Amino acid sequence: MKKLGSLRINLSLVTGLVISLAILFAAIAAPLIATHGVDQMDMRNRFAGPSLAHWLGTDNFGRDLWTRLIFGARVSLLIALIPVFVAATLGTLVGIVAGYFGGWVDLILMRVVDVFLGFPALILVLAIVAVLGPGILNVSLALVVIFWTDYARVVRSSTLVLREQAYVLAARAVGASHMRILFKEILPNVWGPVLVLATLGLGNAILTESALSFLGFGVPPPQPTWGWTLAYGTRFMRSEPWLAIISGLAIMVTVLGFNLLGDGLRDLLDPKGLSRGPHTRPIAKR
Amino acid sequence: MISRQLLAVAFLVISVSFSPVGAQVQVQTVRVGIDVDAGTLDPRLARDSSAYRATDLIYDGLVRLSPDLKPEPNLAQSWQNPDPKTWVFKLRDGVTFHDGTPLTADDVVFTYQTLLKPELNAPLRSLFTPIAKVEATDPKTVVFTLSSPYAPLLTYLEMGIISKKAVEGGVDIGLKPIGTGPMKLARWDRGSRMVLEPNPNYWAGASKLKELQLVVISDNTARAQAFEAKDLDLIQSPLSPQDIKRLQANTNFGNVVTSGLGITYLNFNTGEAVVADPKMRRALAMLVDQKTIVGDIYQGVDREASSILLPSSWAFSANIKQPTFDVAGAKKAIEALGWRMAGNVYTKDGKKLNVVLSTHSEDPNRLQTVEFMQSIFQQAGVEATVRVTDWPAFSTNYVQKSQHQVALLGWLNIVDPDRLMYGQFHSKGTLNWSKYNNPALDKLLDEGREALDINVRKAAYGKAAQIIADDVPYYVLSYQGYQMFHAKALGAVRANPRGYLRDVIAFQKK
Amino acid sequence: MLAYVVRRLLLLVPTAAGMVVITFSLLLLIPGDPAAVLLGQEASKADIANLRATLGLDLPWSTQLARYFGALLQGDMGRSLFQNESVSSIIGARIGATLELAVAALVIAIVIGVSLGVLAAMRQGTKVDTALMLLAQLGVSIPVYWLGILLMLAFSVKLGWLPAIGRGEPFGSAVWAALSGRPAVLVDSIAHLLLPAFALGVNSAAIISRLVRTSMIEILQEDFVRTAYAKGLRRPRVMVRHALRNALLPVISIIGLRFGHLLGGAVLTESIFGWPGLGQLTIAAISQRDLPLVQGIVLCFAMMFALVNLVVDLSYSLADPRVRVA
Repeated sequence: MKKLGSLRINLSLVTGLVISLAILFAAIAAPLIATHGVDQMDMRNRFAGPSLAHWLGTDNFGRDLWTRLIFGARVSLLIALIPVFVAATLGTLVGIVAGYFGGWVDLILMRVVDVFLGFPALILVLAIVAVLGPGILNVSLALVVIFWTDYARVVRSSTLVLREQAYVLAARAVGASHMRILFKEILPNVWGPVLVLATLGLGNAILTESALSFLGFGVPPPQPTWGWTLAYGTRFMRSEPWLAIISGLAIMVTVLGFNLLGDGLRDLLDPKGLSRGPHTRPIAKR
Repeated sequence: MISRQLLAVAFLVISVSFSPVGAQVQVQTVRVGIDVDAGTLDPRLARDSSAYRATDLIYDGLVRLSPDLKPEPNLAQSWQNPDPKTWVFKLRDGVTFHDGTPLTADDVVFTYQTLLKPELNAPLRSLFTPIAKVEATDPKTVVFTLSSPYAPLLTYLEMGIISKKAVEGGVDIGLKPIGTGPMKLARWDRGSRMVLEPNPNYWAGASKLKELQLVVISDNTARAQAFEAKDLDLIQSPLSPQDIKRLQANTNFGNVVTSGLGITYLNFNTGEAVVADPKMRRALAMLVDQKTIVGDIYQGVDREASSILLPSSWAFSANIKQPTFDVAGAKKAIEALGWRMAGNVYTKDGKKLNVVLSTHSEDPNRLQTVEFMQSIFQQAGVEATVRVTDWPAFSTNYVQKSQHQVALLGWLNIVDPDRLMYGQFHSKGTLNWSKYNNPALDKLLDEGREALDINVRKAAYGKAAQIIADDVPYYVLSYQGYQMFHAKALGAVRANPRGYLRDVIAFQKK
Repeated sequence: MLAYVVRRLLLLVPTAAGMVVITFSLLLLIPGDPAAVLLGQEASKADIANLRATLGLDLPWSTQLARYFGALLQGDMGRSLFQNESVSSIIGARIGATLELAVAALVIAIVIGVSLGVLAAMRQGTKVDTALMLLAQLGVSIPVYWLGILLMLAFSVKLGWLPAIGRGEPFGSAVWAALSGRPAVLVDSIAHLLLPAFALGVNSAAIISRLVRTSMIEILQEDFVRTAYAKGLRRPRVMVRHALRNALLPVISIIGLRFGHLLGGAVLTESIFGWPGLGQLTIAAISQRDLPLVQGIVLCFAMMFALVNLVVDLSYSLADPRVRVA
């Protein structure tokens, strides 16, 4: 497995790390590296292309796009990190319990997972955001609801495999309690795939949030979210395509960074490929 | 050889004699692009623009409004007021429904009696509630008895008359309409296309068209593109400003660009402490940069508004003016109310001056307007929070429950000043979400509603509009424009701000 | 096998019921009054209250839910609040469009994904491989609707090669028309389908290509392949007959998952391209608070998703004798 072009893997990890850190840096250092005010409008200079004054041009209000995008990175990263963290925690808990105890517990928990999986993700998120109202926290909560199932399933599969391992069986034989086994034997071996999934999930979160904004339901203006910049951009696309192009590019590069990072991590932390989920390996059993 | 040459010549002769060289070819089919499919074809239940436009072709009303909103005889040949609370209509002879049954006064009575029944859940029922009684005194005469004088009634009596026999016979006229109008429903592919064909027995002369199609293309830009690609012969508002500019500049198409019958406005909730004082409302109104909003965000397709009266209305007066954009003046007015700058925000008694600006998410122009307003407010020292949700949450769960502070929305179909003022500003009005209560205004609105003399009405509404312009329960941002673009083959099409299509169906002169 | 199928179908019932309860509750919780939206701004409070009573909107949640289930068991999905039609006929009219789009996207995804994956595997370690995998990464990272918009910008607005909005004749009848001598209809149909299907399928194509590549590489190192070479079989033959067949197994299993994603992704794609399917309908229905219609659509999606998964699981176990379907 390591022969699979280890140079390529390292490239993936390094590139992903570089991009992700760059975005992180831009978000944190935004006030320092911004060239204009976030809300500074200039109606005489709308839709300007890139120039020395405005590195990435201006938006539909004449606001500097470089500034808007780096402040938007803050929102995007928040929206990515919060739901992924909560979903990973929740999903891991459910997955471990279901995988370890099996039986009725497993049956019921997996039915719950199936219920959430059966919804088209975007529609479920939309409905929840509609109920909760707009705002970063509400959107994050809604995203948790569609993300946790991935973790639950992967962790369950992993747990199913792990609980048959020799050291676990040995621990049981010695009389260790369930809790002890869960936390000392199983959990430490499961966090690898979870971390990989989480990294990959960051990109998914950003994509989903911007899709919500595109449909009119995300974190609303005047927050400088990438999703709304893109949403406005698409409205003006035929006459002023630059806005749509640059904001979409920002999203894509960030997601790419997280995906490359996740892929690179996968080969380090999850050599068995458990994070790919059930089904993808020829010898996987249900 | 000879026979082939003969054939060729014959072919040429025949083709030349049949092609209308130079003469205007009569258009056979007109394809009109619409943004939503009609919800129903029952005129009593219609509530979207496509339903109005379709029912206008399929049915006739007692009267018909001219493009400048004056009621003209339609099914009713004449009318009189023996007293202010009674209207007597004499129906025209020789009118039949599409199924051949003759129109009688009973049909009119049936239409309005059923409309007024609460169980029908008619959306515009509240426009007709002053009607106490409708009766047919003879087969050609209808008498409306009102509970109080109601001048706007005539403009609302444009609604289509339905066939009592058909409805009582169980026909669902929402899907299979039967009217007296110049067009009949030929086919309806729900959600995509409605095909209408001429009524050959129409009393004012039959249409020369073979058919009229209403094609649903909900995306405004897609509809404009389809028109440019000649897949449609006529499109009208709503259209996006970029497309309007482009189409207007294109001399290959005919266009009509005029004032519409709608307004975009700011609704101030006078029940909320921060905007309860008219002086504060005036100050905030002075922070609205109308020129930039209408000129840049709306790209000039609407007109800057000066008051609550529409320029297309007989009641309009250019002398009535709302507060105009003046940041310095606004700041002075705010300071006159006791607010002082602390940091970047005006504060009084330890509290910041904070206003919630709200609108709905579906309209990008309104979203931009609110974002823009927030920016100016903040620069002037007024902290502004933006609250955006989708239309149902915004209108039914927020504004209509008077939970807003400053809301940006609109009104449509303002065919009479009463329609924009009574319900919205009268203390007894059912649409008074601003919670505005002004006895002087009440009296003027009652006067405008009850006087049958148009000059008396105009005077009353003029004074009312001035009060509203001074007190600012509404700040009218713009008068919505109406645009229509059509293929040149349709000839000259008259401007009709409601988008009615009778002008397009090429009547034969009778 | 039969027992397995029956068991899966039976398990569908509580899952579907759970989904209905969740959808119902969510929709009732969303702020906004369908009656008020229906009647428009000019209706009086009394008229709105009247309509609410007629529609039964003021009944307690449990009563409304019980009524809905009762009707559902009789096959009645209710009536749309905003369109004067039954939910089932509205869905029936639109489902073909969404399925057409999803299937077309899947076909594109499989064709592109498998070809690129095989190519990368055969050229493993070379620049071609790296380039293809980078392309795949881009494909996974790109926002679907952004891609759709770019495609529309390039091919419709700037180049004018393909139509931007709408759907041509349904594929089935378009093929029939072509066979009866009107090929222009089929061309138009495909022209409308191309951009949205491509935009929707790119994501899945990328994922499939990566999967195929990994799979192929693993299998190419297995003993039975070396045996085949030793027996003297030529490279392409080995590739196709032995390696590819086994490499495709995980692809089959992922099809079910991807189809679910495609159905969900159709929501966005349909909005951008004005494709008259269920996705676009759902957004409109939620925006209008047309509760019965939204419920019907969600149920429909769930059924489709579950059925596809079942079919995929079954075919997977048929294809790979090593997998026992428990």
